[in-house]
Amino acid sequence: MITVSLIIFLIVAVITLGSALMVVTARNLVHAALWLVVALFGVAILFGLLQAGFLAVVQVVIYIGAIVILIIFAIMLTQRNALEIGSRFNENWGWALGISALVFAALVWAIVSWPGFHVQAQPLDARFDSVAELGKALVASNGYALPFELASVLLLAALIGAIVIAWERKPEER
Amino acid sequence: MIGDIMTSLWAILPVIVLALWACVLLLVDLWLPKDQQGSQQGESNSPITPLLAALGMLTSAAIVIARIGQPTMGFGGMMMADGFSHFICLLLLASGLVTIGLSHDYMKRLGIARGEYYVLLMFSLSGMMLMSMSADLIMVFLSLELLSIPLYVMAGIATPRPSSEEAALKYFLLGAFASGFLVYGIGLVFGATGSTSLQQIVAVVQSGNYNLALILGGAALIITGLGFKVAIVPFHMWTPDAYQGAPSAVTAFMSVGAKTAGFAALLRVFVLAFPAFSADITPVLWGLAALTMVLGNFAAIAQRNIKRLLAYSSIAHAGYIMMALVPYGQDGLSADSVASALFYLVAYAFTNFAAWAVVIALEQAGEKGLELQDYAGLGRKHPALAAVMAVAMLSFTGVPPTLGFVGKFYLFRTVLEGGHVGLALIGVLTSLVSAFYYLRVIVVMYMQEGEPEARREPWLQAMAYGSAIGVVALSIFSAPLLFLASQAVLKLF
Repeated sequence: MITVSLIIFLIVAVITLGSALMVVTARNLVHAALWLVVALFGVAILFGLLQAGFLAVVQVVIYIGAIVILIIFAIMLTQRNALEIGSRFNENWGWALGISALVFAALVWAIVSWPGFHVQAQPLDARFDSVAELGKALVASNGYALPFELASVLLLAALIGAIVIAWERKPEER
Repeated sequence: MIGDIMTSLWAILPVIVLALWACVLLLVDLWLPKDQQGSQQGESNSPITPLLAALGMLTSAAIVIARIGQPTMGFGGMMMADGFSHFICLLLLASGLVTIGLSHDYMKRLGIARGEYYVLLMFSLSGMMLMSMSADLIMVFLSLELLSIPLYVMAGIATPRPSSEEAALKYFLLGAFASGFLVYGIGLVFGATGSTSLQQIVAVVQSGNYNLALILGGAALIITGLGFKVAIVPFHMWTPDAYQGAPSAVTAFMSVGAKTAGFAALLRVFVLAFPAFSADITPVLWGLAALTMVLGNFAAIAQRNIKRLLAYSSIAHAGYIMMALVPYGQDGLSADSVASALFYLVAYAFTNFAAWAVVIALEQAGEKGLELQDYAGLGRKHPALAAVMAVAMLSFTGVPPTLGFVGKFYLFRTVLEGGHVGLALIGVLTSLVSAFYYLRVIVVMYMQEGEPEARREPWLQAMAYGSAIGVVALSIFSAPLLFLASQAVLKLF
């Protein structure tokens, strides 16, 4: 049965996969980063189709708004010759392709052969406030409060580490 | 509600203390008077910083000790502070303290002393401790990251020395890759059971409503991800370069801490969540353990650099500890499996620190004094240090009366009880092979002429002698330690 959402899903899926392919094959790093924006936007639309509106917004704001921009900054601020690099493939690409295809096939088989895969999920109740539930889960002590807090400690440690590594030590500052 | 939060925080109090202490120390370090002596690159740190860091670890250890025998659970079953985690946490905190002792003079001597080093050490340690308590795969992943990221930086703290930068970069890239495997594995397990909590996973497995293929794939990827951290073959590629390039004190901490935490997570996840699948998982663990022991020991024979030799030795010992995991799912054996793994981790920690303390004592600026030949004549010139190294080498080999012997004895007994005679045989044979390169170090120290130079730094010497005495004394009085290890059973509340 072909519904509107199925058609939208197929279009978005093709665009997402196509631009993801462009990310890894583009010769110019900046182009690759821009293709990444398209791919991530496609993922955001997929979240939207799954009635996860909040996650769709977060996907756009964080992945496109912050992470890709950071990647582009990193490319711009590092050496120029990284902009144009030669072949994107090394001699092992055939092996890599074979193994990836094998893993993909195994995963598809594992998921499709499971009876739970063919059960249609019930749409959420329209009154169900997923954002509120998500917010509660992030701060409840029997929810995800600890992982949430731990992530901030982790980021602090990474920040200190980055400064320790990248700080330029000038001899005259002795 | 408030009571619930308090019990949760209470469960992870030692880690909270340690992490907060690290944050405060970061600020305090800025105001402490700087010690300018021995600083070459404008680096300096206060001698008080390591003392404060050690004090933080002691406080945390005191809290852990005060709570032995009172298992608590927090955050809805996400964290478990039980006998197992208490044992691992104390081992980790002791490793942290020894690392401070090894680092203080060493970092100053190499001109890379920095206050942030101790802060990163404490952050990494809190990640390791959280890992030993994690009863939720999300927490396993996050604490793995918290332990790894400071370690990447610590490996590269001797920048701009190229070998240190190489070590940090290799460790970082492969570590990030390994984390990807772990997350994918966690994702598959979540897809198969609908939960990341070990308790829930067990409940779902008992109800039979799960996807077997996905859960096995997830388990395999979790082994891969954690296998990178504990350096088992074939996920060991980064180990020799990272161990050789990183400052020796960091390598000592890396080899003990990351291995202990990684095995803690492997033990908890597999013993608690996946015993039902042991028929499928045990052969994989069997193969990995055998491969690791064989490759680690044979590759070590060819090594002339003492840091590389210890790196391959560390890979080989990951294989021995892995042996304990093989019979994890058999009835009545999981407790033995955990106890022998914990005991061997202690044996490995003591032995390893003794060996690295001697390496640090002999290392000269510019990565000199690290070849095997530089140890010639150590027996005559510095008999005490040579004795420490000899004890460490004998313990690595598994010769009585050392902790390594007792540890291997319990390991082999567990494996034989599980009915894996072939694996035990491989373990014994590879131990014989390892005798060749470990004893060569002793031969070079005592039978060859040379003029090695060693540093006489009080803390370093205290750590060297303390570890060596521990290796011998604990092997003679091993009963209490084994009792503690056997108390550290893993079970769901």
